[in-house]
Amino acid sequence: MTGSSRLRETLAEAVAELAGPRRLTVIEVAGEGVVAFDLHRDEAGTPRGRGRTVVHWADQKSGASSWARQAVTDAVPDGSTLIVVDSSPGGRQAREAMEWMRDVHPQVPAFVLASGLRVKTLLREVVADEPLRRSYELVVLKRHPVTARLEFTCRPLFTVEARRGDSLTFTVRCEPSDDRGTVFAVAAWQDRYPALLSVQTAKVPPGPYEVTAELERPGRVRFPSLPEFTGNDRTWAELVASVPSRLASPAGPAHLICAVEISGTGAQVRERLRRIGQVIAVMPGGPESPLRMSLIAYGAHSYQRGTAEEPVDVAAWHTSRVNTQYALERLEGRIGERGVSQGYAGAAMLEDMLAEVAGRLPAGGGERTVLLTVGECPPHPPRAHRSEILPCPRRIDWKQQVRRLEQHPGLTFGAICDQPSERADPVWSRLGRSGLAHLDAVDVRKLGAGLGLTASEAQPLPFPLIEVP
Amino acid sequence: MTPAVQPDPGQSERSDHSIAIWGAPGSGKTTFLAALNIALILKKGPWRVIGADGPSTDFLIEMTTALSQYQRFPPATGALGHYRWFLSRRSEPPRRSWRRRRKPPRAWKIGLDVLDAPGGFFRAERTGYGTDREELIDNLAASRGIVFLFDPIRESKDGDAFAYLHGVLAELAGRMLADDEFGDGMLPHYLAVCVTKFDELRVLETAEKLSLLTPDPDDPYRFPRVDDADAEELFEALSAVSAGGNADMVLPALKQFFRPERIKFFVTSSIGFYLDPLRGVFDPDDFQNLVPEATGTAGGAQNPHDPHGPRAVSGNRFRIRGQAHPINVMEPMLWLGQRLSSGDGDAGKAGG
Repeated sequence: MTGSSRLRETLAEAVAELAGPRRLTVIEVAGEGVVAFDLHRDEAGTPRGRGRTVVHWADQKSGASSWARQAVTDAVPDGSTLIVVDSSPGGRQAREAMEWMRDVHPQVPAFVLASGLRVKTLLREVVADEPLRRSYELVVLKRHPVTARLEFTCRPLFTVEARRGDSLTFTVRCEPSDDRGTVFAVAAWQDRYPALLSVQTAKVPPGPYEVTAELERPGRVRFPSLPEFTGNDRTWAELVASVPSRLASPAGPAHLICAVEISGTGAQVRERLRRIGQVIAVMPGGPESPLRMSLIAYGAHSYQRGTAEEPVDVAAWHTSRVNTQYALERLEGRIGERGVSQGYAGAAMLEDMLAEVAGRLPAGGGERTVLLTVGECPPHPPRAHRSEILPCPRRIDWKQQVRRLEQHPGLTFGAICDQPSERADPVWSRLGRSGLAHLDAVDVRKLGAGLGLTASEAQPLPFPLIEVP
Repeated sequence: MTPAVQPDPGQSERSDHSIAIWGAPGSGKTTFLAALNIALILKKGPWRVIGADGPSTDFLIEMTTALSQYQRFPPATGALGHYRWFLSRRSEPPRRSWRRRRKPPRAWKIGLDVLDAPGGFFRAERTGYGTDREELIDNLAASRGIVFLFDPIRESKDGDAFAYLHGVLAELAGRMLADDEFGDGMLPHYLAVCVTKFDELRVLETAEKLSLLTPDPDDPYRFPRVDDADAEELFEALSAVSAGGNADMVLPALKQFFRPERIKFFVTSSIGFYLDPLRGVFDPDDFQNLVPEATGTAGGAQNPHDPHGPRAVSGNRFRIRGQAHPINVMEPMLWLGQRLSSGDGDAGKAGG
């Protein structure tokens, strides 16, 4: 085995042992001076290092011992693994330096490289040849087939022990992106913890793509089948935030349930009903439309002796848009004649409505369902509560009903509240977790798109999409 | 049977003793008074409240009707009201005996000159105060029984009970104790300290945490109660959560001026707990007896329990949800009346 072969082997072993805070220092006594290489693993598990000439022979006027001591002291961090390599063609200063280091570090392996070979080249080859210590995956989005909700996921690229030159081909779909292009981000995984390896951006037209990924070396993945990559000027947080909650796709059966609070002032109730009418109007509603609709009205509990309260009114259930519009007109007419629901002023029978919806939805789901609640008041608690709101006469626990609905496959919560979100009762954040709008300023098209019911005019998607089987 | 007292609307009938009700604004003084008559009626006992003059009789009728029939709170006191009532205990008809005819027991009649002052009067600055304040101090000085209402809900938010208390106490003491008329330097009054709003969740919870709730075996509704012997402990616990942080000075201040043996604590509620007519017994899951009213609903009153009220309640007006079941409202009055009429409260002479 030649000196360079033994050195390569020793370097490969030392690089492989790098982990956590451990570092490797290679001191090369070269023709022009002393070069120190400092190597470590970054948070993605990739060996990283840099070399710098710490002593130039031409600058040295004093004896060898003083500069060599200084060089080693400065260049070798505490606890670092040290390897000494002599690649100089000879000379007094280099010889004295090697002698001194052998005296000071008698246990440190010292190698002599043949003329013309350099440590820098050897280290690059060693790092590039190292098998992956972590798996690499491509950051992509997946769309829930029922709810259209977008979620981040990863498409596996290279497993642990993969080596440079390994490649694979897979399919992704690129949606229209913004003018900065689609982001191809690679994450390195250790156990359950990912670390971002690289973020590259390519301007690709929308459509499906056969993507080839090639492991150039640890820490670098190329996508030769894609157009040229450009730099990315956005932070990861900005990129994540730019992903819409849903990728609107009105195709497939869906069920929009509009639940409206009919207590409060007459003006409030009329405005809520008007907004519901607008929402219904922007929904796809032709005879062939797979979108079904329901309309539910709920008012206030009555705690007045001798006054019966109106139960939750299911004005329309799982019917066409036209029938729902008729039901809405009838409801408006009824309120115009009889007035709004009278009763308890500080809360509404929201919990009864939730129980009604939960009881009517078929077990197992089967279609995308959106519960759009329009109102202002909080629900009644099931028992005496510090809010001082009187308990629901039927002791319905609204939190339990919300949990029940949350577990319903494919159900999405949207809400239009009379109050802006910062002033709305906290329950409205939960009822509008996928889309909460203020009654006075609601963009019904945007709300519909956000809830996955209507197509959005412009919905750039910054990451590639994979289909979920 | 002893003939009932026939108050003459035109002429005030003066009683020997008077009782003042003292408390911060919003502490429920007016409601407390209105609840007294209901409590006595519901008790079905021998005690009755009878107006001693026209205005007092009118007030009694008006407040009792508002609270019981219309389930409304009486409007907060806006001006000094001086109501003269009698707490009358009717005599039982004599039981016949085959040996001898028993003498009918004597009827009781305790005068209640109830001074219902708006809370602000108690906190008015000493200098520059008006005649209302003067009259208030005069009446406190003339009375020998005081009902001091401590509203723990208000105290937890505003923390001003001590502020309402100490100025009046100092002035009252200055007026009555300057010439050492009472010997021991203590005010001669009997003091019923009433922890109000027992029907409020937070008060009930505190009492429950301290294990102070006791069932009343004689109560068909099974309302929880706090025994009078434990009421001071609840008072201290609720004082500890004062917003102003000085409610714990209230009790020492009272004991500084009133003889401890003349102070008694009560845990009270003017409206009591809600009682579901179908259940007929207290329901720990549903006992709140206040209902907010929508904006514009006539006849409501500011929430006497919480100046801020439940969220999202427009107008902050409340009515009583069910029937009022006053708790410990008549007991302080009866205790004061009995103390005063027993002779040891004679004009408040020291040691008397």
